[in-house]
Amino acid sequence: MRISTGAIYDANVAALGQQQATLLKTQQQVATGRRIQTASDDPVAAARAISVNQADAMNAQYGANRTALRHTLSLAESNLQSVTSLLQDVQVAAVNAGNGALSTIDRHTMATELSGKLQELIGLANSTDGVGNYLFSGFQSHTTPFADVSGTITYNGDDGQRLMQANASRQIASSDSGADVFMRVKNGNGTFVTQPGVRVAAPVGANIGTGIISPGIVTDPAALVTGNSYTISFSVSAVTGATSYTVTGAPTALAPAMAGVAYVSGQAISFKGIQFDIQGAPADGDIFTVTPSTNESIFKTVSDLIAALNDPVPTAANGGTTGLTNSLSRGLKNLDNALNNVLSIRSSLGLRLQEVDALQTAGDDLSLQFKETLSQLQDVDPYKAYSDLAQQNATLQASLKSFAAVSSLSLFTYI
Amino acid sequence: MANLFTSALSGLNASQLGIATTEHNIANASTPGFSRQQILPAARLSDQTGSGFIGQGVDVQGVTRIYDQYLSAQVLQEQSQATYLTTYYAELKQIDNLVADPAAGASPAIQSFFDAMSAVSNNPESVPARQTMLGNAQFAVNRFQAIDQRMTDIANGLSGQITSSVNAINSYAQQIAALNGNIKRAMATIPVQQPNDLLDQRNQLLTKLNQEIKTTMLQQSDGTVSIFVGNGQTLVQDLQAMQLQAVQSSSDPQKLDIAYLRNGQTIAIQQSSIQGGNLGAYLTFRDQSLEPTRNALGRVALGLANSINQQNQLGQDLKGALGGNLFTVAVPSVIKNTANVGAGVPTVTIADVSKLTTSDYRLTYDSATLKYTLLRLSDNTQTAGSPYTAAALLAAQPDGMLITAPAAPSNGDSFLIRPTANGARDIALATNDPAKIAAAAPIRASAPTNSPFNTGTAKISSGMVNSPPPAPLNPAHLTTNLNLQQPVTIQFDTPLTVPATFTVTGTGVPSSPLAGVVYTDGADITYNGWTVQITGAPAAGDIFTIGSNTNAVGDNRNILLMSSMQTSNLLGGDSTTAAGVGTTSFQGAYGQLVGDVGAKTSELSVTSLAQTNMAAQTVAAQQAVSGVNLDEEAANLMRYQKTYQAAAKAMQIANTLFDEVLAIGR
Repeated sequence: MRISTGAIYDANVAALGQQQATLLKTQQQVATGRRIQTASDDPVAAARAISVNQADAMNAQYGANRTALRHTLSLAESNLQSVTSLLQDVQVAAVNAGNGALSTIDRHTMATELSGKLQELIGLANSTDGVGNYLFSGFQSHTTPFADVSGTITYNGDDGQRLMQANASRQIASSDSGADVFMRVKNGNGTFVTQPGVRVAAPVGANIGTGIISPGIVTDPAALVTGNSYTISFSVSAVTGATSYTVTGAPTALAPAMAGVAYVSGQAISFKGIQFDIQGAPADGDIFTVTPSTNESIFKTVSDLIAALNDPVPTAANGGTTGLTNSLSRGLKNLDNALNNVLSIRSSLGLRLQEVDALQTAGDDLSLQFKETLSQLQDVDPYKAYSDLAQQNATLQASLKSFAAVSSLSLFTYI
Repeated sequence: MANLFTSALSGLNASQLGIATTEHNIANASTPGFSRQQILPAARLSDQTGSGFIGQGVDVQGVTRIYDQYLSAQVLQEQSQATYLTTYYAELKQIDNLVADPAAGASPAIQSFFDAMSAVSNNPESVPARQTMLGNAQFAVNRFQAIDQRMTDIANGLSGQITSSVNAINSYAQQIAALNGNIKRAMATIPVQQPNDLLDQRNQLLTKLNQEIKTTMLQQSDGTVSIFVGNGQTLVQDLQAMQLQAVQSSSDPQKLDIAYLRNGQTIAIQQSSIQGGNLGAYLTFRDQSLEPTRNALGRVALGLANSINQQNQLGQDLKGALGGNLFTVAVPSVIKNTANVGAGVPTVTIADVSKLTTSDYRLTYDSATLKYTLLRLSDNTQTAGSPYTAAALLAAQPDGMLITAPAAPSNGDSFLIRPTANGARDIALATNDPAKIAAAAPIRASAPTNSPFNTGTAKISSGMVNSPPPAPLNPAHLTTNLNLQQPVTIQFDTPLTVPATFTVTGTGVPSSPLAGVVYTDGADITYNGWTVQITGAPAAGDIFTIGSNTNAVGDNRNILLMSSMQTSNLLGGDSTTAAGVGTTSFQGAYGQLVGDVGAKTSELSVTSLAQTNMAAQTVAAQQAVSGVNLDEEAANLMRYQKTYQAAAKAMQIANTLFDEVLAIGR
């Protein structure tokens, strides 16, 4: 076969060019550590790398979200911890206030102390995250949530609960509304409230007997009449001196009717799934009421306690310290409820923190996986690249040498 | 005796011619297109004598070039295809380098925008976080624009390349026509001899011409060659050269079309018939790679801007106002064909971004049926329902476009509609006020938060805004219901019946107060463009209110929804998917673009290399026949030298013989 001299040069130049291009590409791969320099190097991997990169970046962002979430949750948790110990202090004070040996002045001193606690409680409820955003005002984080409007603490926030994206599919609440924490606490035993009523017979007003009503329990939930209130009216027979009571229900009347039931101090009184007892000696015309539980703010519970302690000196005419005892009993029950409410929110915060931790671990694992996938997709295998480089280098050198050798062959050098 | 001299002389002459031809070959060893030449020596007719036929010497009958026309035709074809692929590859490589680069592509910018959005959702009241989100939005906008600008630069460069390629074609055509003349004259003068070097020159020009555009050739008996391009348009015939022309496209003035110039008249030719060579590569690259890539990028930008805007409009900004646009969204480009008779132009807006394709469209009017045909150019298929009446065209919203037919159309009027072409170029930030990010929802639902409280255990969800909003729309904010933020009260009736009922009171609630609505635990309650759910056991008289979300600087409900758009499939739907539902996310669509460009580039890198090798082999085969081998020439040189020496020796001997004869007489 004939070969034209030009073709020898052309073929060699083309081959050298191609070899140099391959060598350069391998060299670039080694220098950057990336197998995919442009999308065309591996279109499938390049397109996948984009989605894996996105997933990885989103995972990192979720990590940042979780850090923020952990911060807000911890802040709320430590705040509610202070609220808990404050309420426990108030509880202790309320128990002490029941001590009959205390003088009116002692009680007034306690009231003053509790007023201080109330202000402290408002302060805790109004705390911020350190950059001026209120923790317990719902969505209105720039609005002071709790304000004292002529003696009543009102909530100015809303029911908003902020959610944060903790991973691709999970949104975790990062806040709790002040209404849920401080305002909506069921009073009484959670189903009904027992308290002294207002006398209709003279002297109109507070009970004058020494009857003390217990908070009571629900014995049969099925028998409860939703929304019904009951009145227990006492009468003392002028003839026998025997004490009896009549229970009336409204709006649904009590059936079977309970009228003129003989009263024994401390004996359980039960009807319609409700059970409580009254101790002491109620006077003729004294009234007790059983009403459905409603929501009562923690602030009201505390300020009611303060008001009870500030009451004027109990006299024999108004049943001695009976009114105070009844108020304290009700207040203690409500404090219990408040404490339980705060504790249940704290336990929910704790659960959320726990979940954040679990998600964090999962997120870290995921991050490793993404990095590994990305590396598999994009990164060069150094051993293969170095060996390729050495091989291509050797080939190019051989080509150069052989080209020089071949091109020096010419018949003209011999004639 | 005389024939001794003539024989020797003829040998000398033939050897001289041989040496001259060999020297010509050596001199042209590296001349492109040169075919090696050989003398054609032939023995002279011998003298018939009684002693037999006595040789008379040698005649050189001609000089011929060693040439195989089939191999040469193959070289032309292979090289045309190789140039086409190599040029296409080189052009596409520019985009390939652009789109997948981790630093330069759009993907990281989209990512950082959503990252910043997530930071705002963690801290909706933080102005610095909002500022960062706007900054990253600007970064994404800049990236889209920069990539689009780069593609515009490439397109502008292409226009120049197309023009110079057309000029080169015209110049080659003229030179070939001129050579046709020379060859024709030369062959007419001495019909039996070939003008070898002229033929080689013409051949070389044909090679160059075919590197610009694929042609078909016809060899004429008078030595001229006729050349045709496209669908058989004559480029060169005999001594005449026609011209191609790069003209403004009638359908898109920003584009150059190739037209055929004949006798001073411009004649449109089918663009797809221009194939092969540089020109074919430029046109294919522009129409099948550059523009679709630009459209695909535009669709991502358009989809992002449009979707974020829609969500922002459903929210409430930091100052408590209803959300507006965060981005300025590109308007579809509608180009009237220059040949249109009617003056009207259709208006096109985007109805559903999820249905947009990356294609361009041609709308054509037919006055016989009073209907419009909408052709999707990417697959050359009519959209579903086409042809349409003007009303049907508007109602059908083909491929997500809301097309209002032009006024007073004439038969055959056509329009080029490019819904996404400007998407990346024209995206911009609509505001630089960080407060305008609508992180909050415009409404909130709540139970009483102060005494008197509800006594039941029922709870209300925080509520969400419906999209699209029901009528009547707010004239000042067309994306929401007029009464969206009007206070609405839901109060459970007393006494509570089984099932429980409630009364809805508020502006916008039909026949307010609407009593006796039956309560179902967890069911959607929808009025005024919002939806809430109440769950649990309500008590008689329990109240829930829905109303304006005042002071809600800490609300992040809307921006959480906006963040979730990063992974939602909001693009790439078709006529079978529901409104607003696509098949891929923004990043997915961008990944598709990168994958498409990468796959095409990768394919071209392989095919162009293969074709180049193929062309090189064909050239090698052709050169094996026609190329000059210097060793061979050196041998020929020695051969002719020897024959010359021998002939000269023969002459000397003849002379000596003659001297001997003369000496006899002395």
